[in-house]
Amino acid sequence: MRVINFAQGDFLMLSMYVAFYLTTGYGILAFLGPYAGPIIAAFLAGPVVFAVGWVAHRFIVSRVTGVGAAASEGAGAYGQIIVTLGLSLILQNGGLILLGSTPTGIRTPLSRSSWEIGPILLNQARVVSFLVAVALVIAVYLFLGRTRAGKGLRAAADNSTAATYMGIDVDRAHRVAWSLGVGITAVAGGLLASSQSFQPYVGFDFVIVMYAGVVLGGLGSILGAFWGGLLIGIVQQMSTLVLPYQLQNTAIFVVFLLIVFLRPLGLFGKLSERT
Amino acid sequence: MKNGPTRREFGSGLALAGAMALGLRPAMAEIKEVRVAMIAPLSGLWARQGQLMRLGADMALEEINEKGGIKALGGAKMTVVVADAGDSTEKAKNAAQRVLAQNEDLVGGTGAWLSSFTLAVTEVTERAQLPWLTLSYSDLITNRGFKYIFQTSPTADRQAAETVPAALELAEKATGKRPKTVGILMDNTASPVSFAKPLREGGLEKLGLKLVVDQIFTPPLSDATPLIEKVRTTRPDFLLLPISIMPDNKLVLEKFDEFGLGKGRLPLVGNGAPLGSPELKKVIGPELLEGLLFSVADWPFKGQEELIERFKKRTGEPWMTQDSLTAYGDMWIFKEALEGAGAVDRAKVAEAIRAMNLTDGPAKSVFPGPIKFDDKGRREDVPLIFAQWQKGEPVTVFPIDLAFAKPYWLSS
Amino acid sequence: MKISTARQGWAILAVAVLVLLLSLLIRSAYYQLVLTQLLLWAVLSLAWNILCGYSGYFSFGHAAFWGLGAYTVALGMIHFDLTPWLGIPLAAIVGGLAGAVIGFPTFRLRGHYFALAMLAYPLATLYVFQWLGYQEISLPMKREAPVLYMQFADPRAYVVLALGLLVAALVVSLRVENSRFGKALLAIKQNEPAAEAAGIDTWRWKMRAITLSGALAGMAGGLYAVLLLVVTPESVFGMLVSAQPLILALFGGIGSLWGPLIGAVVLVPLAEGLNGELGDVLPGIQGVVYGAAIIAIILCAPEGVYWRLRDRFAKPRVEPRTTAKPAPALTIAPEARKVSGADLLVLRNIGISFGGLRALDSIDLVVGAGSLHGIIGPNGAGKTTLFNVVNGFLTPDAGSVSFAGAPLAGLRPNQVCRRGIGRTFQVVRAFPRMTVLENVIVGAFVGARDDIAAEQMARVALDRVGLADRAAAVAGGLTTRELRLMELARALAPQPRLILLDETLAGLGHDDLAGILGVIRQVRDEGVTVLIIEHTMQAMVQLVDEFSVLDHGRLIAAGRPDEIVRDRRVIEAYLGRRWMDRVADTVA
Repeated sequence: MRVINFAQGDFLMLSMYVAFYLTTGYGILAFLGPYAGPIIAAFLAGPVVFAVGWVAHRFIVSRVTGVGAAASEGAGAYGQIIVTLGLSLILQNGGLILLGSTPTGIRTPLSRSSWEIGPILLNQARVVSFLVAVALVIAVYLFLGRTRAGKGLRAAADNSTAATYMGIDVDRAHRVAWSLGVGITAVAGGLLASSQSFQPYVGFDFVIVMYAGVVLGGLGSILGAFWGGLLIGIVQQMSTLVLPYQLQNTAIFVVFLLIVFLRPLGLFGKLSERT
Repeated sequence: MKNGPTRREFGSGLALAGAMALGLRPAMAEIKEVRVAMIAPLSGLWARQGQLMRLGADMALEEINEKGGIKALGGAKMTVVVADAGDSTEKAKNAAQRVLAQNEDLVGGTGAWLSSFTLAVTEVTERAQLPWLTLSYSDLITNRGFKYIFQTSPTADRQAAETVPAALELAEKATGKRPKTVGILMDNTASPVSFAKPLREGGLEKLGLKLVVDQIFTPPLSDATPLIEKVRTTRPDFLLLPISIMPDNKLVLEKFDEFGLGKGRLPLVGNGAPLGSPELKKVIGPELLEGLLFSVADWPFKGQEELIERFKKRTGEPWMTQDSLTAYGDMWIFKEALEGAGAVDRAKVAEAIRAMNLTDGPAKSVFPGPIKFDDKGRREDVPLIFAQWQKGEPVTVFPIDLAFAKPYWLSS
Repeated sequence: MKISTARQGWAILAVAVLVLLLSLLIRSAYYQLVLTQLLLWAVLSLAWNILCGYSGYFSFGHAAFWGLGAYTVALGMIHFDLTPWLGIPLAAIVGGLAGAVIGFPTFRLRGHYFALAMLAYPLATLYVFQWLGYQEISLPMKREAPVLYMQFADPRAYVVLALGLLVAALVVSLRVENSRFGKALLAIKQNEPAAEAAGIDTWRWKMRAITLSGALAGMAGGLYAVLLLVVTPESVFGMLVSAQPLILALFGGIGSLWGPLIGAVVLVPLAEGLNGELGDVLPGIQGVVYGAAIIAIILCAPEGVYWRLRDRFAKPRVEPRTTAKPAPALTIAPEARKVSGADLLVLRNIGISFGGLRALDSIDLVVGAGSLHGIIGPNGAGKTTLFNVVNGFLTPDAGSVSFAGAPLAGLRPNQVCRRGIGRTFQVVRAFPRMTVLENVIVGAFVGARDDIAAEQMARVALDRVGLADRAAAVAGGLTTRELRLMELARALAPQPRLILLDETLAGLGHDDLAGILGVIRQVRDEGVTVLIIEHTMQAMVQLVDEFSVLDHGRLIAAGRPDEIVRDRRVIEAYLGRRWMDRVADTVA
């Protein structure tokens, strides 16, 4: 889709609050108990944020991306950066006004219990998140690769002009892709809401690692995004074995840069420039 | 607080001119209002802290004005001009400059919570010769040779020098044994860094302690596992926990529990007010916090019962924290200084603060120890307060004459 | 409409005077501070613009230079008692060096990858500085010699200093924009391979741009440290610092001289004003309003305020249809006359693979000097790949290419161009707001000593293709035919001996086609050897002296047009029986 979404982290923040209000805040899912509740809430956060993303795209983002903007200089790359930055500001600060500044979190015993496998302790909340993440990635992969709708999305991203000729409503396809992107992030956010506390500005902490993951994997490749994200996470944790803990994130960036220099299109990248 | 000094001055100037024209001898121009500034983060990452400061200050002002305002100035009311320090040093500096430019009659100010904001703000206020009070712990603040900065909290290295011996004493009294090994787990923001520095450079050795694990992380923490893993394998007798950000505390404490080190198996001694925040309780629950001991510059102590009750009723907060308490106290310090200065004059107010040696009164009742600043602007020889989480609330346990409860040492 | 350099220079002076006046009149130290910050952020944005606005290489990492500059000044003062009067120039040097060091590996990347890789540098550096213990450092107050250490009591002094930096940045930008430097960067933005093939040493220009950009940014960062007196890693290396110059430039008008300043003038006071008025009333509302404001404006003016205004208010052009400046006499290299017979371009056994695909295999090709040689073949046959090998974009894994007897192995495309090979590209990306002449001048740089000579050569080239009367027309309004001719002129400007035409005739109607064919023939008649890739068989057959036919990377036939169209293999691969019958009538 060629859109860089700077507000991605803030949609994540939104989903954390949605999950929070569903479980602890308004107690809608309280009947599910402290184990299942947060997980279901995370899944429900997905569609909610999907809808928000849909609206944002319809009225704002689509005006500076996609078919309409492809003709302008830089293929609309400029407008979308500012627009998503603006969205990010609105979400963060609007969040402050509506949700308050006090850090909150979902309390679930999952976040502080672990399964023991020999000498290794696996935190339960994070294992659950991992499994859900993998399941989601597989689902998205299948959707994009096997279903008609998914293929339509990929076509629209690849070559919007040709896709239009093929009868694909490119604008709508972009909207679906965008909203799907934030919706999936939302599920991740909902799960994270049980592991850590958050406040309206928490999105910022994630954007960077998100981008490192995606770019590393190769823009345009879903598989790449998955492996890229995984690699970043592994590097982040493994680096603490050899480096001072404080340089964890520097290690990520160094590895990121190394890989990107060796493989300028990312691990699985497909985007290239036509001569 | 909106500001329109020019209009007011214009008005009173006219009145004065009118009076003089009528041949009436002008009495001393009546001062209706005295202004101090508060610069605190109201938006951005630290918005919560600014909000807490504001709550404390507002309550103090209400009381001061109810009781008749500044008597030396004919009952002038005291008001605060609040400015948002935002989330960057640039915004903090701009706030300071703005507040000064738009309120030429400011006599003092307090803020800005985060030590780097305080540094930026005081660069402005020092040059404007505006007396400034701050609760920030960093020693750099009063190490610059400034004359108009007054730090109400003991500096972090001083806090470190007191925290560890007190913890050792407590442990010895409670268990009969003196701890031999210690660990440090901290973030790399300014206060923890200045807290831990003297300890690493011989402070711990002098106390007969061996540092077996020393982990520093960059906030925000994403996962505490590698850190706690190291603590688990080295098993110090107790752990120093100067972590300044609440979300990181949550991750660390929950991880302790997960690894079987929670609920008393590893005594924790922290430093800094975030360890006592109500949201920490909400987010991880009281069981994990039970027994957690931490040192702070200021915490509600014995003698303040009435004040605390009033605060809780007024704001709905479950208890008063350092931010609200010190902001409250700062307002009273300014009141005392104004009474001493007898004029709306920065230099005189600063002089009054420098000359201060309050051993009683409402300002003094807020802070442990007398209100007396040395030539650097620091309060020397004031006791450090220790609070401990007991039954779901952090209560002051040390010094004994200020304590609400008796401290105990967690033992496995 | 090109505003002359002199006029821009006066405008810069006017702005400087205006700022000084403003500073004199404003009483409030607060407004002076905001004005200073406005100017500094404008400088950073201009620095950013020099690299990114002109070249199209978006950087999300300019905070690296700004931060290094700030720390240079701060640490210099703290550890070495170095006055900022020396520290700031030092910061410029540090910034420039950082630019070179960062650019060296990072320019291997393109587009989004480049931008995001740039993001990594300041963030990685941020963590390193925190780890080093520089969480917060403050510049010591020098009561004894304040002026020596740039510590002024009057805030106007800082306005003047920042203004100095701004003027410097504007002047540098102006020089870049109106010189070969700027044109090269714009050419890179428009179509980097084409620029490279036109003889522009893209790598060198990019490195120069990032070094200059880094130096300016570092200098501004140094003054920022002096202004704020407190330096923390987040405040100078943070992502918001990297985003700021970007937002200002995009908002104000990217790739223009005034855009960054316009952005700073509007957005910096807006943000600060919102903070001031609303920050304590309803914390957070200022962020919402600011976010909404930038969204609203970018929806109205996606390329920035400056371009929007210029497009709106630019005077409608009256294009001189006839009598352009008379082109100087054409000098034709005597040895490149018609069909001299010598082999000019020789390819022997060229082969190249992409992954598992053998894109070219055992290609032998000889192009005689002065001839018009056509390469045809179905889609995917490898025709453009062949051109890319000749040009130097691709390195073959087998075989050799030689030109005028000398091998071309290992040469970068811009060096190949210097040897005398020109090339057009399938996708013509012109600069829509610049004139035809300006577009063509880009091609002339490689052979010209200076800008004046380049303009001469461009005019000659335009004359050769018959576009001289449109030299002053804005490229955005050209027809397809004119665009193709312009592209051809650009390739001809440095007076190459051999020219590679990549699908120049594609998509043209019958009349346009005839016209261009005439031009190509004329070019050949003037002594330039032509190698042309095409699909339009009918036209090609009338045009070329001989053909080479490619299919699936292999040469399946070569020879004269009448032979080729009868060749069984060619027909099978490409033409189809029915066509053959038709063409048999036109070819004698």
